Formats: sequence, C-alpha cells, structure tokens
Amino acid sequence: MKRYLFPGVVLVLAYPLLAAGYPVWERLGALVLLAAIGASAWNIVGGYAGQVSVGHAVFFGFGAYSAVVVYTHLGWPPIAGAPIGMLLSVAVAAVIGVPTLRLSGHYFSMATIAVAELVRVLSSTSEFLGGAQGLTGPAMPRTVFDLSFLSATPFYYIFLAVLAFLLGLTWWIERGRMGFYLRAIKDSERAARSLGVSAGRYKLYAYMLSGAFTSLAGSLYLCMFGFVDPESGFGILISVKMVVMAALGGAGQLFGPLVGALILVPLEELSNSYLGGRGAGLTFVVYGAIIVIIARFLPSGLLSLFERRSAKPAAKSEIASGHAD
Amino acid sequence: MTLVQVIVSGLLLGAVYALFSSGLTLIWGMMNVVNFAHGDFVMLGMYTAVVIWTALGGGPFAAVPAAAIVIATLGVLSYFLLVRHIMRGPMLAQILGTFGLALFLRYAAFWTFGADFKTLPDTLIGGSFTLGGIRFEGSRVLAGVGGLLITLLLHLILTRTSVGSRMLAVSEDATAAQLMGIRPQRMQALAWAMAGAATGIAGALIATFFYTSPTVGETLAILAFVTVSFGGFGSVLGALVAGLIIGVVESLSAYLIGPVYKDVVVYVLFVLVLWFRPQGLMGKA
Amino acid sequence: MLIDARNVTKAFGAFKAVDDASVTVEEGDILGLIGPNGAGKSTFFNCLTGDLPVTSGTVSFAGNDVTRLPPEARAKLGLARTFQVPLTFESMSVLDNATIGALLRHPNARDARARARDVLQRVGLGHLTDAPAKSLGTPGRKRLEIARALASEPKALLLDEAMAGLTPTEVREAIELVRRIHGGGITIVIVEHIMEVIVSLAQRVVVFHQGREIARGTPREVTSNPAVIEAYLGRRKVQHGAHL
Ligand SMILES: Nc1ncnc2c1ncn2[C@@H]1O[C@H](COP(=O)(O)OP(=O)(O)O)[C@@H](O)[C@H]1O
Ligand SMILES: [Mg+2]
Repeated sequence: MKRYLFPGVVLVLAYPLLAAGYPVWERLGALVLLAAIGASAWNIVGGYAGQVSVGHAVFFGFGAYSAVVVYTHLGWPPIAGAPIGMLLSVAVAAVIGVPTLRLSGHYFSMATIAVAELVRVLSSTSEFLGGAQGLTGPAMPRTVFDLSFLSATPFYYIFLAVLAFLLGLTWWIERGRMGFYLRAIKDSERAARSLGVSAGRYKLYAYMLSGAFTSLAGSLYLCMFGFVDPESGFGILISVKMVVMAALGGAGQLFGPLVGALILVPLEELSNSYLGGRGAGLTFVVYGAIIVIIARFLPSGLLSLFERRSAKPAAKSEIASGHAD
Repeated sequence: MTLVQVIVSGLLLGAVYALFSSGLTLIWGMMNVVNFAHGDFVMLGMYTAVVIWTALGGGPFAAVPAAAIVIATLGVLSYFLLVRHIMRGPMLAQILGTFGLALFLRYAAFWTFGADFKTLPDTLIGGSFTLGGIRFEGSRVLAGVGGLLITLLLHLILTRTSVGSRMLAVSEDATAAQLMGIRPQRMQALAWAMAGAATGIAGALIATFFYTSPTVGETLAILAFVTVSFGGFGSVLGALVAGLIIGVVESLSAYLIGPVYKDVVVYVLFVLVLWFRPQGLMGKA
Repeated sequence: MLIDARNVTKAFGAFKAVDDASVTVEEGDILGLIGPNGAGKSTFFNCLTGDLPVTSGTVSFAGNDVTRLPPEARAKLGLARTFQVPLTFESMSVLDNATIGALLRHPNARDARARARDVLQRVGLGHLTDAPAKSLGTPGRKRLEIARALASEPKALLLDEAMAGLTPTEVREAIELVRRIHGGGITIVIVEHIMEVIVSLAQRVVVFHQGREIARGTPREVTSNPAVIEAYLGRRKVQHGAHL
C-alpha cells in the first residue's frame, strides 16, 4: 500500500488542474470526496466497531438541516450551522445509541433504519424545517462565507481538507487503545468485556464521533447544493450508500470508504450526466450488478485484494493442528 | 361505527403487510440473512401481475399464480447465484450483495417499464359493498383475505409438515441436519422458493389497490423490516400478528391524529418494542 | 479471601444449572472444580465473571461486592478467565489478541504491545506472534486465551477446560505453564476433566453434580469419595458431550 501513497497524494492534489474546464469532472472530484467523508465517518462505528448502522442519514440530515436552518431563520452563512449540527448529532447519537447499541447484528441495523425513518417522517411534518418541500440556502452569495462558487474546485479543496483531517483522526484512533478495542468488540464482544473492555462505552464513543462527522458531511453537502428536503437529508438511500461504499472498498480499513466512493460516485454521476432518463436506468442495472459481483467474490471489499497478497502466510506449527469451531 | 370501519380496514391492510413480510422473516429466521432486495421482489411481483393481467389479458386468476412462480424462481436463482455464497461471510457482504440485487432489479424494472405509475383496471374487483354498516372495497377485501389465508398456510407448512420440520432442522443446525440425511442446500433453496412465492402473491394482491412503480419496493421494504423485527425474526405467526397490529395502528392513528402521523406512530411503537423486547413480540430469546 | 461466592443460584427458566453453590478461594490457591458434563461448572464461572447475572446469591472479589458489576468491571478488579470454547479475535494477529488484554493496565498501545510480546513468549506462543489468530487450531487458541487473560495482569485466573483436546505431551506442558503462572502470584481456579491435571495441580477440589456441590477436600479425598465416584460412573459415557 505504502508505495501508492506518494503518487496518490500528488494526483489528488493536482486533480482539479487536470479537470479544469470540464465542469462535469470538476464536480465529480468534489462529489467523490464528499461521499468519502460520509462513508469514512460511517466506517468508524460501522467498519471498525462492526456496528452496522443503516440509519446514518439521521446525522447527515441533521448536518444539512442545521446549515440551512441557520441561514433561513437567522440569516447566517450555512457553514456556521456545521458545528451546531455536529454538537446536535453527538447528542442525538447518545439518545439513539444508548438503547440501540444493546441490540446485536441485524437487530441493530433494523433499529437504526426505523429511527432514521421516524426522523424523516417527522421532518416532513415540521414547518420549521420547511416540511416536505425542504429548505433552500442563499440564492445569491452575500459574502465569501456563503461558499457559493462558480466552479466546484474550491469545494474540492475544502472537502479534501476535511477528509484528510478525518482520515488522520481515524488513523490515530486505529493505532491507539480505542482502535484495538473497537476491533475486539467487532470480533467478540464477550471476549473483549472479559478483558476489561467497556464495550458499551466504546461503542457509544464511536457512534457519537461517527455521527459528528457524518453531520459535517451533511452540512458540506448543503453548502454545495444549497438545498435539502426530507428525502435528500434523511432518506434511507443516503444511509445505504454510506454502508455500500465502505463495504465495497473495505469496511474497517482506513482507505476502504474512499476506494468505494472512487468507484460508485463516478458510475452514478457520469451516467446521470451523459445518459439521463431511461439510459440512466440501464447504468444503474450495471451498477447493481457490479455491487453484487463484488459482494459475491470479494466479500471483504476491494482492498482485501491487496491484503491477501501482503498477509503473512498462515503459520502452521505443532500447536496449530486441528481446527476449532 | 366509523371506528369499527377504521379497524376493519386496518386489519385488511395488516394482513397484506403480514403476507409480504412473511417471506422476509422466513429467510431471516432460517439462515440469518436479511434480504435488502425484498421490497423489490414485491415490486416485481406487482409488475408481473400488471403485465399478465392487462397486457396479456390474463386477469387475476392467471396473474396471482404467475407472480408466485416468477418471484419463486427469482428467489431460487438469487439463492444459488448469490446468497449461498455470502451468507457465511461478514454481515456487510449480505447488505452489499442484496442491496446490489435491489438496485439491479429496481432499475431493470425502470428501464423496462419506465418511471410512471401503473394501476390495474377497476372492473372486476373495483366495486365496494356494505355489510353490517361497514363499507368494504372489493380489492382490499380480496387482498386482505388472500393475505391472511396464505400467511396462515405458510405458517402451517412450516410448523405442521415434515418439509417444515426438515427446514427447521436445517435452520437450527445445518451440520446435524445433514447427518440426519437432510440436504441443507435443498431446504434453503426451498425456503427461498416458498418465500418468493409468498412475496409474489403479496405483490399481485397489493397491485390491486396500490400504484405500481419501480421504486415502490423501497417503501414496502421498510414496512417489512419493521413488521419482521416487531414480530420476531423467523416467526411467520409473529409476522402475522405484527402485520395486523401495524395495519390497525396505522389506520387508527391516521384516523385519530392525522394521516401524516401514521408512520410516526408505527416507528415509535417499533422502537419501543425493540427497547423492551429486542427479540420481537414472538421471537425466541 | 480473594473470591467469595455465597449461595449462588443460576436458573434458566425452571431449571437450576447452579443450585445454591458456595465456594471461597484464598489468595494463592489453586482450586480445582470438577464434575461431570452439565454439572454447572461453566455456568458457575459465568456467574463469577459476570457473564451471566446470578438468580440469587452474592459474589465478592478482592473485598468488593461484585454481584451487580458487569464483566469488564470485574476484569478491571483483576478477575480474568478463559472460555471453554475459545473466543478468539478472529480478524487479528496473535500479538494483537494478547495486546487487547495488555491494554487494560497499559493504555499506551506501544507499551501494551511490548507486554503482550512478553506474555506470548512466556506461554510458548513467541514464534507465532505475527500469525493471524484464525490460523491457530484449538490447542493454539486455548493457549492464546490464557495469554490474553495473563496480559491483563490479573489477581485470579479462571481456566475453563483449558486443556481439553490436548495431547498428553501438550497437557504436561500446560500443567507446567499453570504452575509457572501460579508461581507468578496468580490465584487459579481450574475446571478440568482430566483427573491427572487436577491431582497434580490443585490443593483443594470442589465437586459439582447437577448444579450442586457434592464434595470438597483434597484431590485424594474427593477421588475416593463414593458420591463422587457414583456421579462420574453414572455419566461415563457422556464424558465428551456437548459443552456450553
Ligand atoms: N444459556 C443457557 N440456557 C439454558 N441452559 C443452559 C445455558 N447454559 C447452560 N445451560 C445448561 O446448564 C447446565 C450446566 O451447563 P454447564 O455449566 O455448561 O456445565 P459444565 O460446564 O459443568 O459442563 C447444562 O444442562 C446446560 O445445558
Ligand atoms: Mg463447561
């Protein structure tokens, strides 16, 4: 992996120069990074800790709505809603997490779906949030803080900075005690607890942190698109896409969600802009088929291809005889 | 009198929820797989019914069995080509695989039929009649009664027949079942066929009173997830009870509080059930 | 008194898997816990560690009433265990498995890793530190369970059939290992089917049968106790039946 790092970094930094003059491609770069932020945030609790939330749209929506609400109701620039959204999301994560994180496996997933749907339906009945029509950000940029740009390139660099920070933070967590503990909880919560791991607390920390950054992704989304409604904020597709991107690249791996975003976002965007209409239907058929094929043949994600090659061969020895089950 | 009317229509709706959730719960209970494409199975059942009924002029008596056969085949194919391979892997592979299948089916339908809503002609079952002061819509009665009967049938097959007990043996311990001469893969494929048939019939019944579109599966899937978690995974009877409860709660809250709040009430109820009884109402602990 | 379990009962529905058991363990003891399969030994362990809440009775450890504490809190107080069916962290290396244990007293990952390496060396897994844990067979996994528990630097270690499935040579090595662990100042409670293990290690033995204590004393005393012989002989054929 290491030898790809330097050329990778150069390419990422220089991408807007290569895409300059092609708005579709400029936008695409920013969208990949935005999706990667969301999926990487999900990865903290869903990938590392193995608590598969399919309701992260709750946090995404809170972020998006916080940004637009501070504009609509207070006249602030939307980005000022980002920290508010993050704080709110941490609180919301605690409220949702304490009861649901006791559930295991599919039950946790189903509970998170239900909570997200509950919030989606509630948001569509709330006048404060613009009801089913949603809310729109500033039509005209008033100051530079409104982050209204003609090209997507400034967004590209903003998203890149956020993603770099998030991945740096994840990397730091991964190497420390919390990272070890989250993986232990994922493998066997019972064994982890027998070794003094406060599983409930660590899962909750991971969930809150994950929620905060998912919310930030939502706020950034609003800054770029200037609009959110219940479906684009709290819809189940938002949640599922985070899961699918992370799982496709490799859940519980630092760069897994980014790899997933690099594949899925271009597939989706380019088909939308070049085909449109029914043609897009056909591309999504291909998109679905690709996901199925990867799940079938690489169940641990694309990055497991590299891992398999570099992993040390399973050591067989005198005590590594029979097989346990 | 209106309150009774509301409860009756809730029960009829709930019986359909029960039927389209019973396929999901069967698969979940039998092999611990959650099929994220379940809603799209229902959607294809609806389209099958629409096509056979209208385009090919087959009418309801051809449409319902056709939907059962088509979706059962789809289920068996999904099992052999995909599910069999991912069911032992990480849970995420299941979500990835079945969600990929969902997208595949949804957009295949979109590509074939377009995005606009399709509805079935009103002629045969469109009318309504009044009985004991309660007004019944023909299509809803057909769907509700059909849903109830077929869910019960599925429950009886699973609990009262030797095929059912062999399937149960596989779900409890596939290796032990194999030692007793049961072929696990065959039983699991059969479960997918039965779940598919039930789902297809549910789709055909729903198509009689609900619009058919490529994305309708998403809404239905969430309802099915709620019903199944509510009733306890693996329990068809649980799905039946949960479906009926949810149907009644929906129509009561739509009537008493307002239509937009019916989902809110259902989800709140669901979260409460998960809190107090994580294994669902009738699930095994 | 390091471990003091009083009148512990654990019922599953109407069935009492552990029925009014009282066991005390002094600091520095090696206590053997024996009994035929299904006698309730693992269930009793689970009550001591907090994996299962007791139906009635109290458990105290190192002077603290831990009856209501979760397993992680008991581990922090110095109570470590192994599982009869190993619960290995499958996705990790052998070293990382042991590191999870070491992190309890060494929050810094680098220190914990160094400690874990030490412990693996001591239990004879030094040559496998970098191997994926899932490549280990049952004996290796059982040893890794011990390593992980030791790495948490416990006061007491509960071993649940840690030697089942080992060859006679491996059993002798494992007995040596337990002696060394005990020599390092750790109190031990050991559940084992193999009588030689109990005879050569334990100073005191408690015998369970159908959830109740039927005898206690030195290994020699209990093995000649008619009630114990009866309990074992009556169940000979199911010696290696299902476990928890
Ligand atoms: N979680 C459980 N639910 C119901 N019964 C259990 C459970 N765990 C153990 N048992 C029963 O309790 C009895 C004691 O089991 P166990 O403690 O594993 O015995 P031992 O370790 O002495 O072989 C057995 O009959 C077993 O079937
Ligand atoms: Mg045992």
